[in-house]
Amino acid sequence: MMPLWRHARVIAAVCCLGAVAVSCNPQTSAKPNPPADAVVQTKADSKSLERAARRAYDGAPPVIPHGNLGASCVACHSAKGIQFGEMGFAPPMPHETSPGKGPGKFARCTQCHVFKETDEVFVENSFAGLQQDLRRGSRQNPLAPPVMPHPVFMRENCAACHTGPAAREEIRCTHPERGRCNQCHVAPVTQTEF
Amino acid sequence: MSDIPRRTFLKVLGTTSAASCGIAAFSCDDRREAEKIAATQAALTPEQLTWGKAPCRYCGTGCGVEVGVKDNRIMAVRGDTASPVNRGLLCVKGYHLPAMLYGKDRLLYPQLRQPDGSLKRISWDEALDLVASKFKGALEEHGPESVAVYGSGQWTIFDGYTALKWVKGGMRSNNLEPNARLCMASAVMGFVTQFQSDEPMGCYDDFEFGDDFIFWGHNVAEMHPVLFSRILETKRKKPGSRIIDLATRRTATSDYADMYIEFRPGGDLALANGILHLLVKNDQVDHAFIKENLVFKRGIEDPAVIGYGCYEDQADRYVFKEEMKDASFEELKTFLADYTPERVSELSGVSVAQIEALAKVYGDNKRGTVSTWCMGVNQHYRGTWMNNLITDLHLITGKIGRPGSNPFSMTGQPAACGTVREVGTLCNRLPSDRVVTNPEHRAETEKIWGLPEGTISEKPGYHAVDMFRAMQRGDIKCMWIQTTNPWVTLPNLHRFERKPGDGRFIVVSDIYPTPTTEVADLILPAAGWVEREGMFGNSERRTQHWDKLIDPPGEAKEDAWQMIQVARRMGMGHLFPWPEDDWHRPMFEEYRSFTVGNGKDLATYEQLRATRGLVWPVVDGKETRYRYAAGFDPYVKKKSGVHFYKAKGYGEKAAFWLRPYNPPPESPDTEFPYWLCTGRVLEHWHTGSMTRRVKELQQAVPSAYVEINRADAQDLGLKDGDWVRVTSRRGELKLRAKVDGRGKPPRGSLFIPFFDEHLLVNVLTLDAMCNISYQPDYKKCAVKIERA
Ligand code: SF4
Repeated sequence: MMPLWRHARVIAAVCCLGAVAVSCNPQTSAKPNPPADAVVQTKADSKSLERAARRAYDGAPPVIPHGNLGASCVACHSAKGIQFGEMGFAPPMPHETSPGKGPGKFARCTQCHVFKETDEVFVENSFAGLQQDLRRGSRQNPLAPPVMPHPVFMRENCAACHTGPAAREEIRCTHPERGRCNQCHVAPVTQTEF
Repeated sequence: MSDIPRRTFLKVLGTTSAASCGIAAFSCDDRREAEKIAATQAALTPEQLTWGKAPCRYCGTGCGVEVGVKDNRIMAVRGDTASPVNRGLLCVKGYHLPAMLYGKDRLLYPQLRQPDGSLKRISWDEALDLVASKFKGALEEHGPESVAVYGSGQWTIFDGYTALKWVKGGMRSNNLEPNARLCMASAVMGFVTQFQSDEPMGCYDDFEFGDDFIFWGHNVAEMHPVLFSRILETKRKKPGSRIIDLATRRTATSDYADMYIEFRPGGDLALANGILHLLVKNDQVDHAFIKENLVFKRGIEDPAVIGYGCYEDQADRYVFKEEMKDASFEELKTFLADYTPERVSELSGVSVAQIEALAKVYGDNKRGTVSTWCMGVNQHYRGTWMNNLITDLHLITGKIGRPGSNPFSMTGQPAACGTVREVGTLCNRLPSDRVVTNPEHRAETEKIWGLPEGTISEKPGYHAVDMFRAMQRGDIKCMWIQTTNPWVTLPNLHRFERKPGDGRFIVVSDIYPTPTTEVADLILPAAGWVEREGMFGNSERRTQHWDKLIDPPGEAKEDAWQMIQVARRMGMGHLFPWPEDDWHRPMFEEYRSFTVGNGKDLATYEQLRATRGLVWPVVDGKETRYRYAAGFDPYVKKKSGVHFYKAKGYGEKAAFWLRPYNPPPESPDTEFPYWLCTGRVLEHWHTGSMTRRVKELQQAVPSAYVEINRADAQDLGLKDGDWVRVTSRRGELKLRAKVDGRGKPPRGSLFIPFFDEHLLVNVLTLDAMCNISYQPDYKKCAVKIERA
């Protein structure tokens, strides 16, 4: 059986087509109102556009938004990240690593994240990718902690995106000091049966 | 950070800010761009997509991906966490798979070349009738040797099987070759000469069980990225595990190596013999294993007799006849006497200390040793010999057939194993280890196909390079090329330029226009990847199935369908007696019957549909992780150790081949003082016809360049990015120099990637080839370089 939170998400999803590109108005939608716990993020803010511009689709590894600095990536994208004055904030890696032993299978960052050397394309392409799902995770009741709205695989380090200067306002955690996120927020199942 | 001078750092940041508005600032331009992108991306949730499974379209690693589809379009992929190959991880090519099918210039309709060179859209009926009449005409007028099909290691099993049955069973020709001849034919001949059965014994678990990972001319980090990740993870989890990178240039792989050992092109032959010399001298060999499992063989060794397949009378047609002789361990000792560390050091450029260190690694019986190789060894003027020598190192030390100790040949293409090697789409092969020269094998094949005895020709066809040479001469009149791009990849490319009105007829099936479709008389639009049902087989013998997930665009059709329609029009419909709407399953079951009981048993169609692939032999529904190994392989009845049961001709033992050093066909001299090596980069797949149409990949590596050592560049007064001209005896190429890029060749050595159809490195390369596998050597020839 589909878990309850999944039902909620599917219903909510119907109402939020175009959540980012076009602002979606649930009032004018012919579909039933979303349950109160599935709050839809409708604001097209510059941060989320910036995020989208760096990815082929939601879930694709972002293209590196700066030039090749010739240094080891983790020198700056370290456990806490680094603020480079006006240049911006280098966020920590969201991938799971074990401290002191190196990042193991994720050691070769440029296996997935590539630099952008030119703006030119070889041939135009009509691919249209999946957008980020900006709804918050559903809750069983208004006081319950929300379920994580995205898969956790390779995003084990919640703090990377949900705390610190890199965290967008709408996903910033109010209680980072509690540390163990998955004690209260459970992850969705992503593996598909074929 | 600390190791780059502050000034450079600021400069890089500065450039970046100017080019893309810096790290923090998100300018109006960026915003407009982002809005444009956002408008093309649809806001859906992953739950609203229909997810299907497929192996990645690109490399021989064979990662599992989940493909998210909505309204007949792919919108996302994700690494399949249930796949034992990649466990959820992909590389940048894999993550950007979806856009690969959506380049604006997809071929949509059959197009026929007009006398004025233009292309005219025609119907499928007209196109198929034309192909059938051309092939039929050539067969009737000039016989079976005048037709040819040139396919691919990216063909699905269905495509390859269709081609094999049509060419060998229908047209009674053996002129069927894959681009994989340019890619892993040496590995095939390596395994066949030693085990009388193709393909490796190990599986990817070796990358967790092993202690020492020795890469022979194999840039794993860029060519098999996800496997490299698995090895890096092992290095993290298992203290003391090591990466040893044997190479002719520093690459991304070398950055992670515990030992980087550089050898001179061709010096690997000497190096392997040097290691063998020390193993025997120090008695670090496994005598019990040798006695139980090995025979010793040697063949023709004199380079003056063998040649290189590209000079004098060999330049038109090269066929080498091996003369196998028995040898012995005693004879090996004498043979190896020549390969003292000092002499090997001279031949290979590797220091005596490094040769000794390598012998120690192979000789340490307590540590698991995995040797991997790919194009560096296979694209070699003595590629089969090098395959033999690496396997010899494992045979003589008994480091074979156990988890974490195996010689592991890697394939570049996704179905080089599944389609080319297992189905046998080579000019001398039939399914599942059978060859056309063996009367029993021909009879078995004819029986399964229900064809009269004597249908299949016993004479091997042309190997790939000779096939194109034969076409140039006019001996081949009619050729069908599918899923590959020979007018970028053939060595010594100028040889194969087409002349208008040459009387040849070339059909090309592809998904995009390429330099090969440019020379075609008829272009047929193909369905790509998940636009059709398919199966691939990866480097660890894993067969993987996928369903058709979306419709192909326009009138594009899958390759196998195209050939079946032509066969029907030629009166060979009896070869494909299955219903139009359900032929994949019965075709696969027929093919599978070649494998059952043959030690290469494939899983059933239903099993393959239901799983993330299975590693053959699959007996009683169970896969075999380690071939030939007691306790793993159901064909092995022994209690322990290994049994090379396929090698009937060697008394069910493996053959240790004595293989000497031969000098390269062309070496730098005063006129052409540099070595030239060619190869791939992480971001692009082969000739780039797919990956260059993917924005993120193309923008990461926009065009080809020539890597040059910093000291050489200084001597020539060159800076990074300067235009240079590289010239060989065969052609010249103008491109930009790359100094201190991701690859760093040693002094006197250059590297140019081959993905760029506008900067064709193969106008420079030499068409020398391995004497046994006929695989060309793209890794070494002599060139000069000057400012352009
Ligand atoms: S290109 Fe190779 S390593 Fe990369 S995702 Fe595809 S199969 Fe895996």
